[in-house]
Amino acid sequence: MEVLLGITGKDFTLIACSKAAMRGATILKASDDKTRSLNKHTLMAFSGEAGDTIQFAEYIQANAQLYSMRNGTDLSPSALAHFIRGELASSLRSRKPYNVNLLLGGFDPITGKPSLYWMDYLAALTAAPYAAHGYAQYYCLSILDKHHNPNIDFEQGMKVLRMCTDELKRRLPIDFKGMLVKVIDKDGIREVEYNDDARIACP
Amino acid sequence: MSAMFSQNPLMNGPNYSFNQAPSTAAAGNKEHGFYPYTDNGGSTLAISGSDFTIVAGDTRSTSGYNINTRYSPKVFKIGGTTSSQDDATLVLSVVGFAADGEALKERLDAIVKMYRYQHGKPMSVKACAQRLSTILYGKRFFPYYVTAILGGLDEEGNGAVYSYDPVGSYEREQCRAAGAAASLIMPFLDNQVNYKNQYIPGSGVGHALVEREKIPLGRTEVEDVVKDAFDSAVERHIEVGDGLQMFVITKSGIEEKYLPLKRD
Amino acid sequence: MDTLVARYSQPMFEKDYTEDQLDMYQPAPSLSLRFAMPPVAQPSAWLRAATDDHANPNCPIKIAHGTTTLAFRFQGGIIVATDSRATAGNWIASQTVKKVIEINNCLLGTMAGGAADCQYWLAYLGMQCRLHELRHKRRISVAAASKILANLVYSYKGMGLSMGTMCAGVTKEEGPALYYIDSDGTRLAGNLFCVGSGQTFAYGVLDAEYSYDLSEEAALELGRRSILAATHRDAYSGGFINLYHVKEDGWVKHGFNDTNPIFWKTKLESGEFSNVTSELV
Repeated sequence: MEVLLGITGKDFTLIACSKAAMRGATILKASDDKTRSLNKHTLMAFSGEAGDTIQFAEYIQANAQLYSMRNGTDLSPSALAHFIRGELASSLRSRKPYNVNLLLGGFDPITGKPSLYWMDYLAALTAAPYAAHGYAQYYCLSILDKHHNPNIDFEQGMKVLRMCTDELKRRLPIDFKGMLVKVIDKDGIREVEYNDDARIACP
Repeated sequence: MSAMFSQNPLMNGPNYSFNQAPSTAAAGNKEHGFYPYTDNGGSTLAISGSDFTIVAGDTRSTSGYNINTRYSPKVFKIGGTTSSQDDATLVLSVVGFAADGEALKERLDAIVKMYRYQHGKPMSVKACAQRLSTILYGKRFFPYYVTAILGGLDEEGNGAVYSYDPVGSYEREQCRAAGAAASLIMPFLDNQVNYKNQYIPGSGVGHALVEREKIPLGRTEVEDVVKDAFDSAVERHIEVGDGLQMFVITKSGIEEKYLPLKRD
Repeated sequence: MDTLVARYSQPMFEKDYTEDQLDMYQPAPSLSLRFAMPPVAQPSAWLRAATDDHANPNCPIKIAHGTTTLAFRFQGGIIVATDSRATAGNWIASQTVKKVIEINNCLLGTMAGGAADCQYWLAYLGMQCRLHELRHKRRISVAAASKILANLVYSYKGMGLSMGTMCAGVTKEEGPALYYIDSDGTRLAGNLFCVGSGQTFAYGVLDAEYSYDLSEEAALELGRRSILAATHRDAYSGGFINLYHVKEDGWVKHGFNDTNPIFWKTKLESGEFSNVTSELV
């Protein structure tokens, strides 16, 4: 019941994650952040097996930062995506694989292009204009198929994201405690104020 | 206790040796395996034209890797006034479990015959199709293990084919293949009868291509398609072969044709 | 032992006719509630082993299953839309299934789950509706019709029927009325339902733009677009889009159209489906 959503636009990438941290039938925390920033222009969102997610994300984060410090330059989103895929793929063939699904949102300040990568726990990697993990796929991909196009600006992107989260609040049987939204653009990564208080009723 | 290791989900009992029935009675009432079905293989096919319908089936009957016989018909005339069925107007094909097929054929034949005696006219395909559906659904909780196809001519004299699932959902179609080689024959029919994925060369690129015009096939073309379909199925499916039985329904009656297929 | 004695010592006049004998005396029976049962203690468990492809993927009898259907109420009546694909496991059994069942000229039913179950019981419902008309000299309400169906399937609960259906109709007393009925026995009135494996994808598009005040044209387009969304994302849905509009003086059919050209038209003209490339690589 964890929700991960990613949307790219003209000059930005949006990453949204549900704020609930669930264990069994309990919500342990209602302000969870399921993202880690890998460098100034790349953000990774994750869901999956408890424990595995943060361990893997922080391992990737540490390596990405080490690279930046050693070389005085950041890895591009595409390079990071393939690095993460490699790490997850080797873990998958080890005694105890990481069970983690990922979205990698980035913005390349040199080319000025946003990017989004979708990767599942089997290390299948694909670049996409919009992507989702978990139950969100079933409800949001059809909305994005209809309402997304690659040239949308930030306001339009937020509008499409609102359509998606409204639908999730309307149809998902479990309260995921709202969404944490971050945007990656030429200025780096920043959190976006996202009002989740409205009640959405089924028609 | 060894019941848990059964490979056969229906037997739900111990069977380390082949085909062994449960020998120990568990506590309380023990139900013995009840599995009255087997698959006799084979394939059937029906195509309707503008003023005719062809229903065909191979004549091989198998159980497992054994061939029971090389001539066991799967296609039957239905509802003639006599046992010779000379004046029948409908054709039923059944594939799957031969005994259920036989039972279904006998039952439908009796009903259509009774209809003819009582109403003084043969049953229309439309009526027969609906009746066959209710017969099949009447055994919803103990199904006939068969896939049936009914062929005939409708009130306007056009060819009509009705296809069924084992519990009686039905649909009128242009053509249908059923049985063991359905997955081999049906895509061929989609392409050659309904011209699926055939486009006019040079009419565009990718999704701009214009579909090939759909012209109803003539009788000789359809007969050739049927023959080719079965010859190809025989090449790639072990349960299909030996003979091809073909019924051609026209307004002047039903013609039967028998052609040999490869017998290996 | 007693049951055995009872079974074989039944007097002749009380004896049940066999199906074949019944066929003879009753060559055109109405749709009935007499079903042949397998001679075992637990018919439903036996049936599940022989037909249910979830519990037993190697089951011998594959029952055709249907898949994305939707219906919604709006000011101009009710829109009903479906895809047309029937699957048995991974095999596409048909691409031309009529999943909107015309119960009579002002009532529609939709088909998801077992194709035969839906066809048979909605035909049976049609019969009951006609009998109601003859007996009471007025059309049956959608509420009553849907309740007949719900009570009927509930009486077979646990026997393995599989259906998720919507009944849509417009009557003077009720206005546009829409009911969801499934084989568990659920019966719900509502504004908007999507049923089948592609339901979530249809809900996604439908919820985002649904309002009761939609114009007729916009409502039809939204119904069509929602089914298209489901056929695009759900592999068990596809084929043709079947569209109906139910009004007070009966339903109107709005075509049975191939999804492929509609998809490309939607993509190329409205710039949607940006994850699909239209260039030939």
